[in-house]
Amino acid sequence: MAYSFPEEVLEHVFSFLSSARDRNTVSLVCKSWYEIERWCRHRIFVGNCYAVSPEIVIRRFPELRAVEMKGKPHFADFNLVPEGWGAYAYPWIAAMAEAYPFLEEIKLKRMVVTDETLELISKSYKNFKVLVLTSCEGFTTDGLASIAANCRHLRELDLRESEVEDLSGNWLSDFPDSCTSLVSLNMSCLGSEVSFSALERLVARSPDLRTLRLNRAVPLEKLANLVRHAPQLVELGTGAYSAEIRSDTFSSLADAFSACKQLKALSGFWDVVPSYLPAVYSVCSGITSLNLSYAAIPSSDLVKLISQCQNLQRLWVLDYIEDSGLEALAASCKDLQELRVFPSDPFGAEPNVSLTEQGLVSVSEGCPKLESVLYFCRQMSNAALIAIAKNRPNFIRFRLCIIEPQAADYLTLEPLDTGFGAIVENCKELRRLSMSGLLTDRVFKYIGTHAKKLEMLSIAFAGESDFGLHHVLSGCDSLRKLEIRDCPFGDKALLANAEKLETMRSLWMSSCSVSFGACKLLAQKMPRLNVEVIDERGPPDSRPESCSVERVYVYRTVASRQRLDMPDFVWTLEEDSSMRYS
Amino acid sequence: MDNHLQLHLALSTTSTRNLPRNDEKKRKFDESFSDDEMTSNKRTLPLLIWNDNRNMDCGCVDVEEHAVVGWPPVNSRMRKVAEHHRRESTASNYVTVDNGGGGGGGLNSMYVKVEMEGIGIARKINLGIFGSYQALTAALMAMFGKRREMYKLTYRDKEGDWLLAGDVPWERFVRSVRRLKLLKKVW
Repeated sequence: MAYSFPEEVLEHVFSFLSSARDRNTVSLVCKSWYEIERWCRHRIFVGNCYAVSPEIVIRRFPELRAVEMKGKPHFADFNLVPEGWGAYAYPWIAAMAEAYPFLEEIKLKRMVVTDETLELISKSYKNFKVLVLTSCEGFTTDGLASIAANCRHLRELDLRESEVEDLSGNWLSDFPDSCTSLVSLNMSCLGSEVSFSALERLVARSPDLRTLRLNRAVPLEKLANLVRHAPQLVELGTGAYSAEIRSDTFSSLADAFSACKQLKALSGFWDVVPSYLPAVYSVCSGITSLNLSYAAIPSSDLVKLISQCQNLQRLWVLDYIEDSGLEALAASCKDLQELRVFPSDPFGAEPNVSLTEQGLVSVSEGCPKLESVLYFCRQMSNAALIAIAKNRPNFIRFRLCIIEPQAADYLTLEPLDTGFGAIVENCKELRRLSMSGLLTDRVFKYIGTHAKKLEMLSIAFAGESDFGLHHVLSGCDSLRKLEIRDCPFGDKALLANAEKLETMRSLWMSSCSVSFGACKLLAQKMPRLNVEVIDERGPPDSRPESCSVERVYVYRTVASRQRLDMPDFVWTLEEDSSMRYS
Repeated sequence: MDNHLQLHLALSTTSTRNLPRNDEKKRKFDESFSDDEMTSNKRTLPLLIWNDNRNMDCGCVDVEEHAVVGWPPVNSRMRKVAEHHRRESTASNYVTVDNGGGGGGGLNSMYVKVEMEGIGIARKINLGIFGSYQALTAALMAMFGKRREMYKLTYRDKEGDWLLAGDVPWERFVRSVRRLKLLKKVW
């Protein structure tokens, strides 16, 4: 059309759109915009690696430079997904190696990454810059050696929370002396020692290094040397934070830290000896993120450190902080946005620390910007939840884990329905919710009625009937991910809301009451959903159809429903199955 | 599958009559639930076995004994951290010293497991919040939804013996009780 913009102009306009959602919208306007957009999209995010195939992605987007992808469902973190289920990165990397020789960034979460995959990455992309592997597994330090040796322009190597088989610490030495481009190195998940001299030389020759997260094996005595080489660090993860108490070690450490004027985040702190904590006091006023989730130290020492950090925005800590420590936190850290309190003794029968609902109430009262919470505790009451909800209507993430399954309100012995109901009713921007404790169908009615912006919901040991699930599926307009375990939810709610499932990324249900028959029916009726029955007891059709399946994972997909890498404990509907149901 | 159950799939592609539109979905769903039988016997309560095989007096707990997979939801990294800390703290009561030993102090440390004969799911109750046998029994009855006169309260003391509750003064009972069980009275 004579009056439309030339392609180059549109492309330039589109270059200002960074959000994938905006770009997706733009490509729906008309065919020519779809065409122009797809040629200039450089970065994609695939929330479920099985929702689409490498071929489809490559066909549509020929010029990608950055790929971010997620594999296994979230409950895999808690061993609910059997080993060998899938989420292999190799097929993606292999396909992209041919299609995108200029790929620069790969970020994977919960995927199986082999040494072969890492070697292929290191050899296929001449300009490779960023590798982030979050909660991945399947590779060894040999794979890391390939990356170190071959990626000449590597900027980021971040292995957060991944399971790496540690064959040798020498992989670090494989970074050539000419490699001076490193900006971020996170090896905190590695078990064994790395060659310290190689590490020191690497840090010393990386002037742009902003993030350095060491593993536990790096001793405290050596930390000062490293920090001295990198006073420009913004994020530092220490190794083990313990050493014999010596004044020279201490002053060396304190001096090194005082040179770090840009430090904003601290983590690590394994095996803390509290006497060494004051070495970081000089940087505390600039600290916005503090991860003490490995630090087993009494509340008083935690408080001494935290109260120095007036600008703290994010705190991850063990429940050793106790209610008293959280009260102190509420008093000193008025900018706090995110709090995570992890259990020091999750499997203990009795509380080992004095951390109750009161701690969370204090923080919700004292920290006006608090919007994201993950809290493990052993008792909760509706009164506390209601108070928290009224204090903080600005919550966007609220994850509460009461350690005892189905624990009632400890004051009234009633279910916690009204408490969680208050959360969803008051926190209108809530995007993520995890619940626990004794909960009836009523709480799901509240959620379906109020939680209109909720995108992710995690439920365990809750509810009484299919009504519970039905309220959620029919009421939560923004729901994308739903994960359920050990709830009496079954066929009726699932089948009555079949269409809803296509508007979501995925649904996980394990140890619920979903029958094999219903799974087949769902798959037959909804061709764009992949209904995976994950059952380790052998073929589901060797049992009556009304028998409940161990796990079912339902996700929308435009790829084939018969993924080629299915293990023998996963069943999906055969493509040539007849459309009858009993 | 029960014959009188109507599964209404709100699909726009199929052409059969009586298919509910989105706004009618809820009502149809409610209708199919009007039969009490449906709501009561289809409930399959989860396999919740909050297994407390451990001897409560001994500080050592083997994580592998834990009967519920993946609960509490802590990832493998945190599990290792917890395992490590537990070994450290049983060796030296470093962290719990403030509380005078034996876990968190005061009201929060008197949780005992309660079972009721005939009910598969055990519960837990904090004895610290009660002051008398009457208060405890009333709360237990409310928790399980049963009538007081039908059950008797028994308990296991720290020697491992099962006794009838009510014979010793409340304070002594609270110090020695390890587990509670409500048994049906046999007339």
